[in-house]
Amino acid sequence: MKIPAASTRIAEYSLAIDTSAGTSVAVLSMGKVLAELNYLEPMTHSERIGSAIQDVLTQANLKPNQISLVVAGVGPGPYTGLRVGLAAARYFSIGSGAKLVGVCSLDAIALDYYSTNPSAQELLVSTDARRKEVFWATYSGVLDGMPVRTHGPAVNKYEDIGSIVAIDSFTQTDIGVRAGSLGQIAFAQDLAGLSTSSEVNPIYLREPDAVPSKGKKVSG
Amino acid sequence: MKVDIRQATLLDLPEIMKLENSSFANDAWPEATFHSELAAKHTYYIVAMVADDIVGYAGLSKLAGSNQADIQTIAVRLDQRGAGIGRALMNALTAHATQLGATEIFLEVRADNTIAQKLYKVFGFKQIGTRKKYYQPDDVDAFIMKTDVKLTTNEPVVLGIETSCDETGVGIVRGNQLLANIISSSMNKHAIFGGVVPEIAARAHLEALTPVLEEALEKANLTLDQINAIAVTNGPGLAGALMVGVGAAKALSVATGKPIYAVNHLVGHVGADILDRGELQTPTIALLVSGGHTSLLLVRDLLDDVVLLGETIDDAAGEAFDKVARVLGLSYPGGPEIDRVAKDGNPTAIRFPRGLSLPKDMADHRYDFSFSGLKTAVARHVELAESKGEEHSIADVAASFREAVVDVLIKKAISACKDFEVPRLLLGGGVVANARLREVAKEQCEKAGIELRIPPFSLCTDNGAMIAALGAQLIMAGRHPSSLTFSAESTLPVTTVQS
Repeated sequence: MKIPAASTRIAEYSLAIDTSAGTSVAVLSMGKVLAELNYLEPMTHSERIGSAIQDVLTQANLKPNQISLVVAGVGPGPYTGLRVGLAAARYFSIGSGAKLVGVCSLDAIALDYYSTNPSAQELLVSTDARRKEVFWATYSGVLDGMPVRTHGPAVNKYEDIGSIVAIDSFTQTDIGVRAGSLGQIAFAQDLAGLSTSSEVNPIYLREPDAVPSKGKKVSG
Repeated sequence: MKVDIRQATLLDLPEIMKLENSSFANDAWPEATFHSELAAKHTYYIVAMVADDIVGYAGLSKLAGSNQADIQTIAVRLDQRGAGIGRALMNALTAHATQLGATEIFLEVRADNTIAQKLYKVFGFKQIGTRKKYYQPDDVDAFIMKTDVKLTTNEPVVLGIETSCDETGVGIVRGNQLLANIISSSMNKHAIFGGVVPEIAARAHLEALTPVLEEALEKANLTLDQINAIAVTNGPGLAGALMVGVGAAKALSVATGKPIYAVNHLVGHVGADILDRGELQTPTIALLVSGGHTSLLLVRDLLDDVVLLGETIDDAAGEAFDKVARVLGLSYPGGPEIDRVAKDGNPTAIRFPRGLSLPKDMADHRYDFSFSGLKTAVARHVELAESKGEEHSIADVAASFREAVVDVLIKKAISACKDFEVPRLLLGGGVVANARLREVAKEQCEKAGIELRIPPFSLCTDNGAMIAALGAQLIMAGRHPSSLTFSAESTLPVTTVQS
């Protein structure tokens, strides 16, 4: 496919941020990954995020105001970490004047899997959702650079997924999220003229774990 | 003669090249080099104009996120030298470097150019090294010179971000002056749970981040370009809540190239008084009372000498209000509700216990607080009365409970003032909204000859303005920015003012 020249509509440089698992940050030019950093450890998002963004910009030899699109991984993923990336994406977009879009983090995993396994058919992507549950989604392939999601994202006990989809017919993967793939999906959406929602909110899939107060009875 | 300084554009290139070639006979930059310098985004070139003529130019290089800037070049037309144009250009460049967050500016100068060196020395540049035979073909050494930029001379504009509990705050200050203080509270969302739910608070922070920032900038009538630095609370507080602000602040710092200061939430509460009266008088005892904290501090110097004298060993005072409100069938948050009901009650009707006030406790916990026993005593009282089918006055219980809390808070604060011979008491934290607390504090301070400071409520409750104010104090004291790798620390000690 011939990529059209940069227009005012297509973002030339984009910054992609995902903290749905570890901390992954990438800079792309017209859908091509110029620099990417992946920190796999799951508990250091707020420490890593600032220097990770700065480092990918330096590696790509770009200044923040050259970024015209910020792509945020909206999860699903463990909430505390997920929010760090979304908070960073929001304020980077305000600070740099770049547009902000959100992409489902599981889609990035699917794109990665299909890129290395082009003959794969139906795919089940699952990630750790804590509390003995998984976040998951299913895909049928890639169309115009975008994974085609057939079910999800959802959260379930792994053993319960079989009652929702015919689990045996899917190839399964548990590879990590790469921000570069996230950025590529956003670029493909941009090219396809798909307007991404301006609402860039995390996919939580669960209500906060709290029990309404019963009142009274404090001593006992 | 009127000299105008303006930013250079590519259209100025021909004029600049004429000046370049006449000023630097053997080591002038080629036009292509100058073209890319003018076009680059990390550079800032200016020209000095007299009438319509370019009579001088100068350029600065400053990479986003770096605290270092370089003066790339400076030249003044031969017939205009000695008229202060060089100084005006240097003034504009150093001011711009400062605005971009540079704390160090470097330059290179020919060893044989003593006139230029003299000019640089006026701006505090000192020689820090030599590059041998740097200028070719003349075979002349370069002196490397450096100056430290301190924002002490002007008043830094600082944007502060606060997300340590259930309030999302963005505030903006200029030096000691408050420009904006926008707070979005998730209090109502916690009401049905009877207390702050950390996950709900963190979700609310993420939702409020953008509107609160936009509103603060609008209120201050500023754009992000006009902010000198960013300050953010990195502790103490709820970890998941703190991380939202920390992640956002770091990204904003990288995106704008403004330096970041990670500051202590509790010290921020003390700093709030600066915005109310233009300065913080020290030494002072500070009593910080909220839903998350009950701390007694001795502050001899805001940035260098803050000591935690004591704190609650169980519930925070605000938490006790919430829990007792629940016992009395009142709604959340408990403080205002108990205040309302207590108005008609007798504060001496029931003698509830004063935690950690008995002589045996005072030995080890002179300045510590405990409210868990008090809360249980109230619950027992109510349950007992109900089980006996006795009529009991909620107003009396509320008033007596409130009196017990206020009594122990103020007694311990006043005794700290006396023990350390500090003639000042500063109140902070959301519980300052409690009318009886303010009333008793006023009475007791007057009696003891202690000056009482209570900033307006919008500065007492958690807010971004106090965080900005503390950041501004650090900058004015010449402190360097925090590194981008600091973490959110839920138990950050009060002695760590800046991380």
